[in-house]
Amino acid sequence: MKFVAVTPEKTVLDQEVEFVVLPLYDGEYGVAEDHSPVIGRIGAGELRLTLEDKSIQHWYVEGGFVEVANNVVSLLTNRAYKLEELDVSAVREEFDRAQTLPSNSPELMEIKTEAVNRARAKLRLAEKDGPVSRQ
Amino acid sequence: MAKARALDKRRKSIKNIRKITRTMELVATAQFRRAMERSVAADSYTKRIVRLVSDLAKAGLKAEHPLLDERDSKRKAVLFILTANRGMCGGYNSNVLRAGIARLKELRREYEEVELFVSGKRGVSYLKYHGYEIVRVYTQFDDKPTYEEVLVMAEELLNRYKTCEVDRVDVAYSKFLTLSRQVPTAETLLPLSAMTTEVAESDGAVSGLDYEFLPSPESILEEVVPYAFKVKFFKTFLDAAVSEQIARMMAMKAATDNADQMISTLTTTYNRARQSQITNEIIEVISGASALQ
Repeated sequence: MKFVAVTPEKTVLDQEVEFVVLPLYDGEYGVAEDHSPVIGRIGAGELRLTLEDKSIQHWYVEGGFVEVANNVVSLLTNRAYKLEELDVSAVREEFDRAQTLPSNSPELMEIKTEAVNRARAKLRLAEKDGPVSRQ
Repeated sequence: MAKARALDKRRKSIKNIRKITRTMELVATAQFRRAMERSVAADSYTKRIVRLVSDLAKAGLKAEHPLLDERDSKRKAVLFILTANRGMCGGYNSNVLRAGIARLKELRREYEEVELFVSGKRGVSYLKYHGYEIVRVYTQFDDKPTYEEVLVMAEELLNRYKTCEVDRVDVAYSKFLTLSRQVPTAETLLPLSAMTTEVAESDGAVSGLDYEFLPSPESILEEVVPYAFKVKFFKTFLDAAVSEQIARMMAMKAATDNADQMISTLTTTYNRARQSQITNEIIEVISGASALQ
């Protein structure tokens, strides 16, 4: 099964994989060989790739779509980082900043919730499944 | 003697200028190739998004989204003008600025307030000199605007649009059509009206598979629309970078050609001057010698 991840700028990943776990908008979604055609909305979270030699790669992806068809998983995303690229202190700062956003109208509330959720997903990954406070 | 030497000096200085313009042409060519590759990559990406939207349309979903609707309120608009950081690129900057200022005037008639965002030192200094108030200045986008940087700006604009702080977002830039054609244009990015027409154009591109949509077609549409805006916004930056390099390439090629021409005419004049000088000297020697006899 082929896995391709692209941002508008470049192709981030293009390789053979055995199994993929995608962070869909409403939960994780696993895709193996010969999956039926699916288009999914990607949330913010961890992308796990099981390569052919059984090693596992961890990535952080944010927003976008995934298309599964004919044994090709193509991921269109805004941001994709390897887990090692995430800087814990920078991410924590982002999380703190997201929490101080104003929320005094429904639209602002929505923007804030999204930003906080994104930052939280990122932080959880950066700290490798460490505890994240939920206020 | 004096005249020939002056001509030679001039020729030398033009030769030096030619070296500079020639080098700049080569640099611009290299940068153009790089910018072009990025632009092509973004193009294929946009096509995928469009195909996705047409797949959604096939699933019986009408493209409806707050970002697609025209707004009645006309309070604030944002206008981006994308110019270059450096000159030496022919009419590139002035063409973009002309398109930008025309759009600015239009917007000012319609909207109560227009915020001007300018990228590129050239545009900034021109607009400042002419007394336009610039709200934000970007000078970090050279030949290689990164998606990461543009994304941050796009997200901020989207948020301001969502909260009704801004009712319209326009961009004035040089649109890349072909190698020999770049058009300075002003486009409206928000509300995003062009998406539905793009889908209509790409009817044949539907992949023919029956997709399952997760979590639901509506949810995907909700994500597609802002996504399309971000990609389109990024594309304007890429187009601007490509057009700038092309303009510079052309301008520098013309300058090099002109220098070549000047060098050849100066060489001819120099040789003539030198020859007539030698003739003069010989005549002087001969007449001096004959006077002595």
